[in-house]
Amino acid sequence: MTAITLTVNGQSVNAQVTPRTHLADFLREHLLLTGTHIGCEHGICGACTVEINGEIARSCITYAVACDGAEVRTIEGFDDDDLMARLRQAFSEAHALQCGYCTPGMMIAARDLIRRKGGLTGAQIRTEMSGNLCRCTGYVGIVRAIERVMLARPTLSLPTASPRKPQLGPAPGPQPSGSTAAETKAQSATVRLKDASAGAKTGTTPRLSAGSAKKRRRIKVETGSVEASGGATRLTQAFVLEHPRVEVWRLMADAEAVARCIPGMHLDGPLVDGRAAGRMEIALGPIKASFAGEGLVVSFPNEFRQVITGAGGDRKSGSSASGEVAYRLREEVGPAGEDLTRVEVELSYSLTGPLAQFSRSNLVRDLVSRVGENFAQNLDARLSMPDGAEIAPARLGAASLMWRVAVDRIRAGVSKILGRPPS
Amino acid sequence: MKPVAFDYERPRTLAEAVRLLSTNADAKILAGGQTLGPMLNLRLVQPTLIIDITRIAELTRVEEDGEAVTLGACVTHASIEDQKIVDPSNGFLAEVAHGIAYRAVRTRGTIGGSLAHADPAADWLSCLMALGAEVLLTGARGKRRIGVADFMRGALDTELEPDEIMDGVRIPKLSKKARAGFAKICRKSGEFADAIGAVLHDPERGVLRLVAGATQGRPIIIDPATCPIDMNFPPPLGPVRKKLEQSGLAADVYELNIHMAAIARALDKAHAQ
Repeated sequence: MTAITLTVNGQSVNAQVTPRTHLADFLREHLLLTGTHIGCEHGICGACTVEINGEIARSCITYAVACDGAEVRTIEGFDDDDLMARLRQAFSEAHALQCGYCTPGMMIAARDLIRRKGGLTGAQIRTEMSGNLCRCTGYVGIVRAIERVMLARPTLSLPTASPRKPQLGPAPGPQPSGSTAAETKAQSATVRLKDASAGAKTGTTPRLSAGSAKKRRRIKVETGSVEASGGATRLTQAFVLEHPRVEVWRLMADAEAVARCIPGMHLDGPLVDGRAAGRMEIALGPIKASFAGEGLVVSFPNEFRQVITGAGGDRKSGSSASGEVAYRLREEVGPAGEDLTRVEVELSYSLTGPLAQFSRSNLVRDLVSRVGENFAQNLDARLSMPDGAEIAPARLGAASLMWRVAVDRIRAGVSKILGRPPS
Repeated sequence: MKPVAFDYERPRTLAEAVRLLSTNADAKILAGGQTLGPMLNLRLVQPTLIIDITRIAELTRVEEDGEAVTLGACVTHASIEDQKIVDPSNGFLAEVAHGIAYRAVRTRGTIGGSLAHADPAADWLSCLMALGAEVLLTGARGKRRIGVADFMRGALDTELEPDEIMDGVRIPKLSKKARAGFAKICRKSGEFADAIGAVLHDPERGVLRLVAGATQGRPIIIDPATCPIDMNFPPPLGPVRKKLEQSGLAADVYELNIHMAAIARALDKAHAQ
């Protein structure tokens, strides 16, 4: 629990909150200010809109602890506000509410719009108000109500600008030293920190690397079309390695060696009857997941073809994934007559559980081609070091097949769930 | 949904924030929280420690020198929209800021947070690539400066090291005669863009740069060095289309056309200035 002090509707409030308590829950559960409604709870619907230091904000994605020292105003705090009184009247006259759930957020956002801007017409009002959703779809009445007050704006005495010092960052921003309750905590907390150098990573080695930088070549990876159907995503990739097929096959037939070339892949032990347990780690931006499970490798040496299937679950998110990688090696001859190998890869994978709620495919190509590039580079590095013993397991910031998952998640999270871009 | 329990720290200095970041493996920086907040609520992100950097005074600085204006990473979109900053862009940044998400998001979302998150559809990525801006990074090993175009490695992936914080953005000043345009195509206003076009023509500084953003990965940058166009404005669209095709948009006609449309709209807007 963290102690916070803030002003809510003009009254000073001291409270103990857990850091994960968002402002909307704090207002509703701790202060019983239930006029702030919670709709989507991830920043898309606008029902929870309040003012923080005079600017409107989503209280469901602002944490109460971050409002230490702030001035919060909820719908209950506008009882005596002239502009809000006009809006209330207009909302009533124009039938601008049906179930009323979006209304507190609508009114706070509308008041802010009229305060900031004059002379907007219907279409402009719709655009400006598009961050507030009405599930009853009663937009006609809402826009009409706002239009009426907008028309009367020149005759209204608008709220005067805040006497506060203008702030450039999210409110409440930097505070005088020790002025707020959580400040004291933040300072004392530094005691438990270790020496910074202890945790610092060394150098700026590229995260996508495995193996020696000396022999590094850029391997161009072609990514074919991406298809998603029936919950599975399929795609093809191909790249050319400057090594004879026999050599490439020797490496690629060794599933453990191949696994070490896949970013984020770790095997728990050696393959037994073509089976192995392991995990795939993903770090996509702030999202981290580790799919633990089992894989099976089936080789077709006559065709220089191998199929790896695997399935696993991420305990943290409760999601599971399954996938198949099939590759085939074809002989090619380079411009100077050298033996090359074209590696054709077919990938398919599917996901279930929370990580799979969202689907969006337009980021796939970028991610997968980066995974493929990375994999190809790592294979090439291995092939260029015949003993290969000293090549570190692949590690990266950027890729694993599961990345796509996470990205879809984020994008859809932001698109479908959040309904708006990250900011 | 509610986030997992996490610890919360609120450093007052950048050095303290870097120290917290470099000594906690599962820490996550919180700026405006307009993307991180939803991700926390959805439990897409489950950090053990949140480091709130909005109380660090340095991160809302505005500095100006002969060539550029530097904005602290925590400057909000709304502050740029309301022109509370020194504007290096003759109003262009304010126009772009006004188009980001919604007002209640812009009041807390920050320019640095947006860039560090590196969603391909983020407005600032494409806009600032067109303007030739740089990001300023501070880590345990010191400070460095890197162009926005090089900073983003791919979708949600950047050059930021695990112990680094973006502390600011350095935006070059446009010449008086510079023309800049920005257009995005969305299914709903404030939504993620399906395509972004950004254009800068600044003959005095010898710059013509077009950016196709909201692709699946890094925005595509088009300039006379990488595409057969010269400094004349507006540039012919044929070579631009060719360049987009070569940059991975050829496989999907819709993607190609919508990005061309966004660039054409951005050129129109820039032309009109």
